[in-house]
Amino acid sequence: MQREKWKDFRLYVITAEANHPGRSLVDVMERTLIGGAQIVQLRNKTGSRAEVLEQARSLRALTRKYGVPFIINDYPDIVLETDADGVHLGQEDLPIGEARRLLGPDRMIGISTHSLDQALKAEREGADYIGVGPVYPTDTKPGRKAVTTSYVTEAARHVTIPFVAIGGITLGNVDRVLDAGARRICAVSAIVGSEDPAAACRSFLSRIEAADAAQAAKTITVNGREERTTAATVEELVRQLGQQNKQLVVELDGLIVQRALWAGTELKDGASVELVHFVGGG
Amino acid sequence: MAEPFGTAWGDRYSRQIRFAPIGEAGQRELAGASVLIVGVGALGAALAQHMVRAGVGEVRLVDRDFVEASNLQRQTLFDEADAMAALPKAVAAASKLRAINGDVRVEARVADVNEANAAELADGARLVLDGTDNAATRLLLSDVCFRARIPFIYGGVAGAQGMSAALLPGETSCLRCLIGDADEGGDTCDTVGVLAPAVEFIASLQAAEALKWLTGNKDAMRRTWLSADLWSFRLRESAMPGGRADCPHCGAAETLPESAAAGAGGRPEEEISSAALCGRDTVQVTLGKPLPLDRLEQELRSRGCELTVNRYLIRARLGSGETLVLFPDGRALVQGTADAAHAVRLCEAYVLGRKLPV
Repeated sequence: MQREKWKDFRLYVITAEANHPGRSLVDVMERTLIGGAQIVQLRNKTGSRAEVLEQARSLRALTRKYGVPFIINDYPDIVLETDADGVHLGQEDLPIGEARRLLGPDRMIGISTHSLDQALKAEREGADYIGVGPVYPTDTKPGRKAVTTSYVTEAARHVTIPFVAIGGITLGNVDRVLDAGARRICAVSAIVGSEDPAAACRSFLSRIEAADAAQAAKTITVNGREERTTAATVEELVRQLGQQNKQLVVELDGLIVQRALWAGTELKDGASVELVHFVGGG
Repeated sequence: MAEPFGTAWGDRYSRQIRFAPIGEAGQRELAGASVLIVGVGALGAALAQHMVRAGVGEVRLVDRDFVEASNLQRQTLFDEADAMAALPKAVAAASKLRAINGDVRVEARVADVNEANAAELADGARLVLDGTDNAATRLLLSDVCFRARIPFIYGGVAGAQGMSAALLPGETSCLRCLIGDADEGGDTCDTVGVLAPAVEFIASLQAAEALKWLTGNKDAMRRTWLSADLWSFRLRESAMPGGRADCPHCGAAETLPESAAAGAGGRPEEEISSAALCGRDTVQVTLGKPLPLDRLEQELRSRGCELTVNRYLIRARLGSGETLVLFPDGRALVQGTADAAHAVRLCEAYVLGRKLPV
């Protein structure tokens, strides 16, 4: 198991067969993997244990083919039986400590939380990640009151283990969730209910990447004008400004930066940069 | 050399000597110093006047070009007669400078500064003043100066803008480390024009640093890169970084081995090379052997070319519209084309006596 590596996930996908009548579970989930899903959770609250076991076996084989962690909602015993990578618990399911005792130290344990108190408790009890939601009202969990993006912002500030925003997230509102501080997104019906789950995954991932870039942006002063930039170094800034083939004198906070050092010179928030074309007449 | 403090001319440098940081001692330093000025166009002519009037003992001028009417708006040493005679700039400047101050040894070289001759030209100079009009020559001079541990005082102008910095071996970065090798061709005087006051402003900054260095006032030197725009009036100074450790010129590596330092070295005899002069509709063709101007004059005249001839060059207007300017050192400036191959073909036809390819 490589639990550490899984923490890098950004897009978490959960099954919801009711959202894709006429298409098989494995087909739809394979489309999400092709689109870049980074964790797959089997969630089946209505089927028999035997049915869940059979689906788990199929999805275990499928996710292994794509090298993606496979989580089962509830059923720690099926996790063990199918060699899944972890279990996802609800607040009313068995306690984290009990799940850890059953699954051992190497499998992932995730838990849904609906408040910061629950989040911090889960963290203390040894959860590997938490769900934060439902951010918006959702048919997947009818009747549960939405926690809104304010809980996402709280989680971003206070929770140290990975958290994934979930609940009613669509391409129409994901930017707001990301703006609120989420770095990991889980969508259910917006993906598996989509005509093209692979394309939906790709769209979510590109929104997540764009949010990364925007968060990396800083405000600097370029030739006396304030600008937002994502450039990490002087070299990147020069490139973004399309000046890389020009003979330039570059000053950063009062000191000229030699050409060979542009790539290794970090641009910090608030930096003041002057780019001047080398004047060559005489 | 005449005694600079002789009776009749005892006052000559009095105002400069009275300036305390220079004094008698500084003036003696100047009289014993030799400087190289590369390029005697607008910046170079102004720099040369500053150095000669200040009483620098020896001033070496190098320039590849000749005086034309379009120079007179800003190149303060030249007049209409120089342009009409198409005198080489180094020669025309030297005669004016000698008239200004007969105590100064003024040496004029009509030559292109390149990898083969740059080190020899700088040999013995206490500093090199930049009067060039292109980045490539400046980078070459920076390399040579850092190798020889001679200060190189950069100045550049275009439009109403200018920049200047003293590049000091052992203290500051070299020019190559600052701006790199990349060159997409920036603004030049020939593309955006140039204002005489911008030239004089930058030349004055260079000359002030030169006087500090030459009179032993190194600590007073301005250790910044200065950029100026005289039109919008904006001045900016940026601190100069020190040498870059892994640079062979300004870094810890003291010097390059001589073979590497010589770069391409001398050009093989008879090999023709060419370089378009940026923004000027002119190509410089190096023919790789001396040109017999007397014989060429007769040949070109017999081919119906309109000629301007002096001791230093022949200018020939060709029937096809271009102008060839031939120097005895084996160079030709081909005006009226930016096409290097075309310029080489013209030189082959008119100078080397080869047939024009069909």
